[in-house]
Amino acid sequence: MYSWRKLREKLFTGLVIALSLLAIAPVLHLIATVFVNGLTVIAEAGLGFFTGLPPTPLSRELGGIAPSIAGTLIMTALSLPSTVLLGLFAAILTTEFPKNPLSVAIDAVAKSLASIPTIAVSMIVYTLVVIPMRGFSALAGAIALTIIALPYAYTYFSTALRSVPSIYREAAFAVAMSRWSTVTRVFIPIARRSAVVGVLMTMARVMGETAALLFTAGRFRASVALSPTAPADSIPLLIFDYILSPYTIWHRVAWGATALLLIAYMAVFIATKLVVKEVKL
Amino acid sequence: MVKPSKRDKLFFLSLLPLSVSLLAILILSIITIVLRSLDSFQHFGSQLITSSVWNPEKEVYGLLAPIIGSLATSALAVLTALVLSLPLSIMIAEYLRGFAKSVVSSVVELMGGMPTIIYAVWASQYLVPFLKQLVMEPLHRVLPFIPLFSCRPIAGFSIFAAGVAIGISIVPYVTALILEAYQSIPMMYREACYGIGATKYETVRVMISLARPAIIAALILGFARALGETTIAVATVGNSMYLSSCLFAPGYTVSALIASQFANAHLYQYAETVLYSSILVVVLIAIVLSFYGSTTIIKWRSRIIV
Amino acid sequence: MSNVSVYIKSRQILSRVTLKIPYNTVFVIMGPSGSGKTTLLRVINRLIDLVEGARIEGSVKVLGFDALNSDPYELRKHIGTVFQVPNPFPHLTIYENVAIAAKINGVAKSRKELNDVVKWALEKAMLWDEVRNRLHDHPHQLSGGQRQRLCLARALAMKPRLLLLDEPTANIDPVNARKLEEAIVSLKDEITVVMVTHSPHQAARVADYVAVLYDGSVVEHGPAQQLFLRPSTEVAQKLLRGEM
Repeated sequence: MYSWRKLREKLFTGLVIALSLLAIAPVLHLIATVFVNGLTVIAEAGLGFFTGLPPTPLSRELGGIAPSIAGTLIMTALSLPSTVLLGLFAAILTTEFPKNPLSVAIDAVAKSLASIPTIAVSMIVYTLVVIPMRGFSALAGAIALTIIALPYAYTYFSTALRSVPSIYREAAFAVAMSRWSTVTRVFIPIARRSAVVGVLMTMARVMGETAALLFTAGRFRASVALSPTAPADSIPLLIFDYILSPYTIWHRVAWGATALLLIAYMAVFIATKLVVKEVKL
Repeated sequence: MVKPSKRDKLFFLSLLPLSVSLLAILILSIITIVLRSLDSFQHFGSQLITSSVWNPEKEVYGLLAPIIGSLATSALAVLTALVLSLPLSIMIAEYLRGFAKSVVSSVVELMGGMPTIIYAVWASQYLVPFLKQLVMEPLHRVLPFIPLFSCRPIAGFSIFAAGVAIGISIVPYVTALILEAYQSIPMMYREACYGIGATKYETVRVMISLARPAIIAALILGFARALGETTIAVATVGNSMYLSSCLFAPGYTVSALIASQFANAHLYQYAETVLYSSILVVVLIAIVLSFYGSTTIIKWRSRIIV
Repeated sequence: MSNVSVYIKSRQILSRVTLKIPYNTVFVIMGPSGSGKTTLLRVINRLIDLVEGARIEGSVKVLGFDALNSDPYELRKHIGTVFQVPNPFPHLTIYENVAIAAKINGVAKSRKELNDVVKWALEKAMLWDEVRNRLHDHPHQLSGGQRQRLCLARALAMKPRLLLLDEPTANIDPVNARKLEEAIVSLKDEITVVMVTHSPHQAARVADYVAVLYDGSVVEHGPAQQLFLRPSTEVAQKLLRGEM
């Protein structure tokens, strides 16, 4: 009996280790293949990858993905501040007035909004923004991105604010701070590390989102578009279109773009680990 | 009676406009989806879910394949996630310490935030052929009498491939939920187990059974998440309206259908509204499941914290 | 305050408390744990607002304000508070912790004035000598007793007319506690001090006037000498003998 128990213990441990490795293996393989396939493409295309225009399906030159890069940057720059602002204000409201029915509603809504499929958001913004504007635009894309990222930003910020012990609110009041001062001069600075991580993670989400932009941004990649009301492209959109197409040259460009996106994402991720020193309570 | 002071009220009011945005967005979204789907329900009625066809020129539509496809791929995804996340969570919670633990946790975090398009690219180029050669074809050869495996995989793009691919992508999410639940179990239960001389395996069994409601809730939430997955689905499911009981045949999910067809939908009379009604079904299921999953976890947590 | 009763979630914490606190004295409120002392202080500086389900009856006049009906933020500009658990702002340096109190309340207008106020406050709190060379360190590098004195300095930097102290030495070692008591007594010429304590010995050391609170009611009050030499109620006697 004793040795059966031991054997079972060993089998169990072995199974757990094996399955855990199996769980992590895909991502490791993914990172490896993306880098191998993508970096060779970027190396071949050189700096032109970042400044040139995408190739036609039958061309031999790799060209570049400048319009997509520009579009991603513009839409991120448009949506990030609004997402952070809306999420922060909502988080402040629910932290400062936790028993208010509105706060309870906002909490519940944040969870529900996060479970709406991103493609639904794309359809909705299409109906509400693209059609009245009579055209796709970076603005519509940014709006869709804001809607998607908002519940996550709200959750990050409200967790951050709630982690500040309430004795500091008392201290702030004792020094006769107004409510806004209490939030801006005490709570946010104390929670600043979590808040910055929240902003960075929101940025990562916004950068890599595909479905939300399918029917909003416009997939315009013939040239670099700088106006927010003009149709635009984004890196994930380009990857989506190109990898599903039958053309080899486009597949290669897609790999290069994927590698670029992965590097950008990992950079943001590493930044969240290295950012801002924690405030010691 | 302590009245809220004027300053407090002003503070509240100053926060109000921007905070209410979340509510406004949700309400607006739901209204839009519902309104835009009404047309198709009125016109087609139950025909929509009894047939499987996409013919915008003739204005004939049947959503059976995509809806079943969404449900099937999500179910497969959850199964995959269960098989992979549970051991991973146990590994992190029970076997790893210190540096190794933080490295693995960070890798899981990294996986979790990764843009799904990257998964989609990798899945369509590597995972699908891999599954076709090493899983689908062998299963078909050995067990062709089981309806699920009865068709020969052609290119590998199928419900099965989509299910596994999406499953891999939700592993970090489900792992995080299971870990959170596992780590909320008060230490005293674990100590009690070791105190009576249980082995690690036996202790883990006890912990898992304690956490079972939360684990199931995590899987339900994973299912809701899988339902909405688009890019991976489009890249791996095969994009075919053909409905069969075989997992290895190409199929459709609602989100893949929309991704492929919505752009041109405005050219036809009913295409758009039909697509809206299909996403309405998915959104409803997702919201109900999310709600159920979250409240289950909350209730479980309040029961377990003695 | 007159006839002040406080209910928190339908439990009565204070019952018809009436007290008159003279200016520029050290007024000590004594009583066993749970007698409502902290709640009493919180009524004065309106921090009771932060407590969920609190209801107040009666009237309170503080420094000429009708405390219960005035704007609490305005009221608190004149009241400094030191809490039982030291709570210096962890994200600010020692200097900044004191300075922020002065800046916010417009006590100091220029850099030089600010430096002067910070130095004055830290000296009054008997902390200056220990921190003069590390004003840019953060509070977590200080001991508990030093943190509490920092909180006192912060409260003083507001130049308040009233100073409230809620069991300020409860979590501190005896040496620091003595220093704090010295600081408190030295303040009374400029400020009115109301202090809560559960230690009758401490009360004896610092008080000019004493009120004994038991189970939400004032059972006895009067000049300190009188009460300590001849306590007239049984509660007070028990308290002084250390039986509560």
